[in-house]
Amino acid sequence: MLLDLSEEHKEHLAFLPRVESAVVAEFGRIAVEFLRRGSNPKVYEGAARKLSVSSDTVQHGVEGLTYLLTESSKLMISELDFQDSVFVLGFSEELNKLLLQLYLDNRKEIRTILSELAPDLPSYHNLEWRLDVQLASRCLRQQIKPAVTIKLHLNQNGDHSSKVLQTDPATLLHLVQQLEQALEEMKTNHCRRVVRNIK
Amino acid sequence: MELSEGVQRGFQLLGDPGAFGPGAFALVLRAAFRSLLGAQADEAVLDHPDLKHIDPVVLKHCHAAAATCILEAGKQRADKSTLSSYLEDCKFDRERIELFCTEYQNNKNSLETLLGSIGRSLPHITDVSWRLAYQIKTNQLHKMHRPAYLVTLNTESTDSGSQPEISFSCTMEQLQDMVGKLKDASKSLERATQL
Repeated sequence: MLLDLSEEHKEHLAFLPRVESAVVAEFGRIAVEFLRRGSNPKVYEGAARKLSVSSDTVQHGVEGLTYLLTESSKLMISELDFQDSVFVLGFSEELNKLLLQLYLDNRKEIRTILSELAPDLPSYHNLEWRLDVQLASRCLRQQIKPAVTIKLHLNQNGDHSSKVLQTDPATLLHLVQQLEQALEEMKTNHCRRVVRNIK
Repeated sequence: MELSEGVQRGFQLLGDPGAFGPGAFALVLRAAFRSLLGAQADEAVLDHPDLKHIDPVVLKHCHAAAATCILEAGKQRADKSTLSSYLEDCKFDRERIELFCTEYQNNKNSLETLLGSIGRSLPHITDVSWRLAYQIKTNQLHKMHRPAYLVTLNTESTDSGSQPEISFSCTMEQLQDMVGKLKDASKSLERATQL
């Protein structure tokens, strides 16, 4: 599968052959850093001064590179497809190799970052538990009522939340049994067939 | 067992053969248990031909006093001897003491269950449901190819209005972690019951 690069995108990337490989590598590093942490316009100004070009040009160059990397990572295109996609830009072989290396080195991390953009439900983080026995309450003395108190830690969009819940011994055993069945499901023939056939 | 003056007076009046004959006493006693333990509030619980001759205010007072006494006995987990001595102090005759203790014994379990269920507690997990999906792609990321679980815990809460369901997603490893920890808890529970 080849990447479809728009004319505007190709224009932005046209800046790359005009600078040295070391600078392109640096742009690549900046692009990935911006994906991790968010963009920082000041970096563009510094680079623009050093290279004697407008900061807009630098920004477009970095953004073009970022888009190239994210699209390639998103589609998980093969090495060959990446090389063929970049070939249309008419860059030198050295630059093509550099871009390919940049793609392969950062692909995994970029995919991890992209996966965080998906519509999100709270996800499991950790579970703490405690055994309690209720001995008395305002309405009834001399009780022996066992309970399991659970603190469930969840993550959503970077926010940590925790819920404190309780359950009785019978329900606890029921929970374990049900969730073990859930885990077993992945090992059934049906699921294995699906996994094998979706590529 | 300590009860307020008003309650004590009402209860003693109930035991007085002059105010309540044996039939009336039994009816009021059973009505008190029914009011406390019946599934639905029954407004006509004291509507009985054999109670018509008693002043309704007195009837209500004694019925309420009996109910209060029953609740207090249930709360304190009073045994037969405690009950008997309290009833003796209230000047109940032998027959009425026997009747009260028998009725109390018959209703003891329901009473204790009712009292035990009153009170604030944390949201209580009642059930779990799960869904297994195989993630293929999102609009940001293609070719994902990994299993994902969606787990929903159903909870019950004393203040109804708070969230009855907690849903979260997890990977296979995370679910294994969670199940492992829950199994630790249940093993600890087993060990604790064997002590």
